[in-house]
Amino acid sequence: MQGAAIKRPVLITVVCILGFTWIVFSFPGVFAPSLKKLGDWYPALFGILVATSFISYIGLWHMKRWGVQLFLISFFVKETLLVLINDVSYAGLFLSVFFICSILPFYKRMDVNL
Amino acid sequence: MVFWSLFKESIVFALQALVSNKLRSILSLLGITIGIFAVIMVFTIVDSLEQNLRKSVQSLGDDVVFIQKWPWEGGGPDYPWWKYLNRPVPDYKELNYVLENCDGAQSAAFMVAGNATVKYKSSSIENVTVICASHQYDRVKNFEIAEGRYFTEIESASGRPVGVIGDVLAKALFPNQSAVGQTIKVRGAKVLVIGVFKKEGESILGGSPDTQVLIPVNYARSLIDINDDDLDPQIMVRAKPGISNDELISELTGLMRSRRRLSPLEEPDFALNQTSIISNVFDDLFNVVGIAGWIIGGFSILVGGFGIANIMFVSVKERTNIIGIQKSLGAKNYFILMQFLFESVFLSVIGGFIGLLIVYLLTLVAGDSAGMEIQLSRSNVILGFTISILIGVVSGFVPAYGASQLDPVEAIRSS
Repeated sequence: MQGAAIKRPVLITVVCILGFTWIVFSFPGVFAPSLKKLGDWYPALFGILVATSFISYIGLWHMKRWGVQLFLISFFVKETLLVLINDVSYAGLFLSVFFICSILPFYKRMDVNL
Repeated sequence: MVFWSLFKESIVFALQALVSNKLRSILSLLGITIGIFAVIMVFTIVDSLEQNLRKSVQSLGDDVVFIQKWPWEGGGPDYPWWKYLNRPVPDYKELNYVLENCDGAQSAAFMVAGNATVKYKSSSIENVTVICASHQYDRVKNFEIAEGRYFTEIESASGRPVGVIGDVLAKALFPNQSAVGQTIKVRGAKVLVIGVFKKEGESILGGSPDTQVLIPVNYARSLIDINDDDLDPQIMVRAKPGISNDELISELTGLMRSRRRLSPLEEPDFALNQTSIISNVFDDLFNVVGIAGWIIGGFSILVGGFGIANIMFVSVKERTNIIGIQKSLGAKNYFILMQFLFESVFLSVIGGFIGLLIVYLLTLVAGDSAGMEIQLSRSNVILGFTISILIGVVSGFVPAYGASQLDPVEAIRSS
């Protein structure tokens, strides 16, 4: 049997919509020439991060804990990668931290199942 | 083990979906195929052009400074051409002055280039580029001689009627014999062929030695006016190892100003050009083309992703009762999720593979007709497959997740 759907808070809905929009516009960035110049594998890495973020937003949309966990993992990997290539965006960092602060208070209310 | 059984099962499902709904699958894959084709084709062309440009710039010499009348940079409506119009052209005496006084120069050569008709018996070729150069030209310009030799110092100094011709010219004028030792006519004057350049292929900047004739400038004096503005006389100076172009330019600026007796307040009446000016202009151009291809291809892949998502939603709908049976027999949510996710990735990879295959076939065809090497690079193949896998994951996740969350009882009941 499937567990009853947990009502999604408005804040998480807003975070998810902003996240989905970000995904749509950042997906073409996977094959940006500037990223390709960094190395053969950077587009692949960035693409995996975009896909992971997308899946995490779906998890968040369905109020699943794995969504939050995946979001945190992709956030830390992304920031580490940006530090390594010396391309940290403070606006992006601030937005991600804002997202994390918005979703963490609801973590305990979220479903533990897939 | 679970992974492999999942993998095998998903491939079987994907193939079944492809075979049972051929037209639908092909139309859905077409989006990904076109998207991957557009992006990778643009990247392949841009990469190949860049490679060709680098090769051309290298053959000009990236450590060579060109003393000329006109600067290479600029252009457009604001280009102050009137400032340069009345400048004197560099002359042969200035070459000697540079050779005697420039400490940072390893070698230097005077060069003028013009077009002429080249004849051998009844064969003639029009508009051949004739390079008239001083002796150190072979030390300033990068080229190789495939057959024969370069001028000796005596031949250059005394202006003997000898010449080195390009590979294409040699083959066109002397199809079944060696060009070396034959006498051709350049502007009606006899020139003994003493060497043939090694074939280099088309150059993006033009001026491939394949279609050129090189003669000593001292011989060219009798055929043309070597100070003619239209022939763009220039002095090419190669820097010594360890001397940067900036250092050489600084030294040459001082020397040329003193040679032309310019007061400190006067603007220089010569231009010191270097190949980085050309590469910078082309780099900007390639960036624009790359970004245009990236945006167009990116969004076409995104649309292709919607096609894959659509086919996956239909696939889930068609197999809802099978999902119900699988779940009632104990299949976990993640098993159902992975099953559909693999299927979507597999479909997307097939689309991407077809796109890459088309690019590869086109590079084979275009490479021959364009006269330059167009190669599908390893990084572009990696990029193509990565995008295909990612688009499969992104577009297949929502339908796959929906399938994994189905209630088994309701799923079995669905018709």
